[in-house]
Amino acid sequence: MININSLSKEYIMGDNKLLALDNIDLSINEGDFVSIMGSSGSGKSTLMNIIGCLDAPSSGEYHFRDNNVSTLNSNKLAELRNKDIGFVFQNFNLLPRLNAQENVVLPLLYSGKNLKERNQLAIEALESVGLKDRVHHKPNQLSGGQQQRVSIARAIAGSPKLILADEPTGALDSKTGLEIMKILNDLNAKGITIVLVTHEDDIANYGSRIIKMKDGKILEDKKNVNN
Amino acid sequence: MSITDLIYLSQKSLRSNILRSILTSLGIIIGVSSVITMISIGSGARIEVEQQIERFGSNNLIVRSQSSSNRGVSMGANSVNTLTLKDMEALKEELPAIKAIAPRVSLSTQIVANGNNWLATVTGTTNDYFDLGNWKFENGRSFEEEELASGSRVAIIGKTVQKNLFDNDSPIDEVIRINKVPFTVIGLLDAKGGTAWADLDDTVIVPLKTAKQRLVAKKFPGDQIRSMTINVRSSDLLFKTEKDVDTVMRKLHKISANGNPDFVIRNYAQFLNARQESSRVMSILLATVAGISLIVGGIGIMNIMLVTVTERTKEIGVCMSVGAKKRDILLQFLIESLMISLIGGLIGIALGLGVIFGVSEYFKWKMSLDYMSIVLSFVFSSSIGIIFGFYPARKAANLNPIDALRYE
Repeated sequence: MININSLSKEYIMGDNKLLALDNIDLSINEGDFVSIMGSSGSGKSTLMNIIGCLDAPSSGEYHFRDNNVSTLNSNKLAELRNKDIGFVFQNFNLLPRLNAQENVVLPLLYSGKNLKERNQLAIEALESVGLKDRVHHKPNQLSGGQQQRVSIARAIAGSPKLILADEPTGALDSKTGLEIMKILNDLNAKGITIVLVTHEDDIANYGSRIIKMKDGKILEDKKNVNN
Repeated sequence: MSITDLIYLSQKSLRSNILRSILTSLGIIIGVSSVITMISIGSGARIEVEQQIERFGSNNLIVRSQSSSNRGVSMGANSVNTLTLKDMEALKEELPAIKAIAPRVSLSTQIVANGNNWLATVTGTTNDYFDLGNWKFENGRSFEEEELASGSRVAIIGKTVQKNLFDNDSPIDEVIRINKVPFTVIGLLDAKGGTAWADLDDTVIVPLKTAKQRLVAKKFPGDQIRSMTINVRSSDLLFKTEKDVDTVMRKLHKISANGNPDFVIRNYAQFLNARQESSRVMSILLATVAGISLIVGGIGIMNIMLVTVTERTKEIGVCMSVGAKKRDILLQFLIESLMISLIGGLIGIALGLGVIFGVSEYFKWKMSLDYMSIVLSFVFSSSIGIIFGFYPARKAANLNPIDALRYE
């Protein structure tokens, strides 16, 4: 599903060049649950942003399914993000003016689904994360765990192939964090590929494969024996 | 993403900042209301001028007696009658540009009929008077040649006189007494309405000869007349003819080119031009105000939209991460600024209508509401919204997804 060949990403900050990703090779298969670990500055978030077509690499190749991502224009990238990829962020990134249902509808708006269909899909997605009775609540009327569940519902509403979760439990207490991880686990069980970025060992342990990064390089990439 | 969805999202974010949205549209409000007021002042003035021409006839010059004044000390306009029918014949003969001349004698006197009394202006003239003054007959007829030649006691009356003497009954064939002299009414004129200074329908018209013999023999002895209305063949010739009439009259009255004339030539077109000119100046002034406030309003919109884009950078990033294309973001912000300017436009139209109504009520100024001006205002304000909203919208659309998402 994901094929990355000798991919690098460098940032230029004033006179300094910062190599965030250094010649990375990586492939992820459909149905995998991959945890990427590393301290801050290890390049794990940069890698995830490139996988999610939010950022472009400086050099190297990235194939997502049948697409050579480095050759795609911004419209095509937006379409990939819309149809094939779902994001779950550490700080939820919900739009404060919109209620839960409207937030979940957002990606469906951009994919041009009609009103009836998208409301249907949004309700189903919210139901599947256990928020059936919270559809008309605004984000500020929801707890952190509920907000993260709304953002998961938004990620899955368009039935993507891949979910990218960037520290999804980082802003939550451990009990709520476990609930969120359970939801992600269930989604993986249904066949959705999941790439998770975290620096906590017990969260990373949900993955079937754990990649450790440091200084823009992959330090270790192994099957998770505990899982 | 459909337009309705875009509008839905835009109104959502505008409503969350309603005061700001309205303040932003203030420039547009002022601009649009000025545009509407300007246009209706302009078209009101045009209509008024057209009505005046309709009332007084076009291409007319009026020559009137005037006692020669000495350095501003006038003897009073009515004291001497210096115009004569000979002058009239001479002008007709010398100036081929003149199509017709209607002479006029007049007095203000008591009219009695039907047991009622009414003070009206009585005019003695010929049939040309009706054509030149654009008078139409509601009833009856004009004078016959024989009546004019023999000095018959026949009269044609205006609507105001009819109302006061006959209470709106038909006056035809009734007898009225002018200065105790009985006259038979043969015609009733159509109403013209009043001007600011006179009721044009408060009039009685009799044959020139009859008036001179029976009503104003002392006031206008011999072939003296009060004034004459000269009709010029075309409007191009109006100003040249005015000069020619002056030259001929000076020659007839033996007045040197720079001496004080004993007559005055009034050119009605001049008055109308002045009226048109002043409303034109007013319109230019308003157009300037409108132009400036529309531009300032547009810049205000651009400014607020830039602030909005910055404020919502993270939100734009989120939308991009769930699949918004550049076009979607561009359109959403364009529609937002379009909505601000259209709301401003709507309020401006309402305000403009209020101003038009207020001014025409209070100053009795003729204002005509032009529906084109409403269409124009819509076009104006929406293009302002699009033009000035485009730069901020493009800025939003060109954001790099990851930079926008990381923006704090």
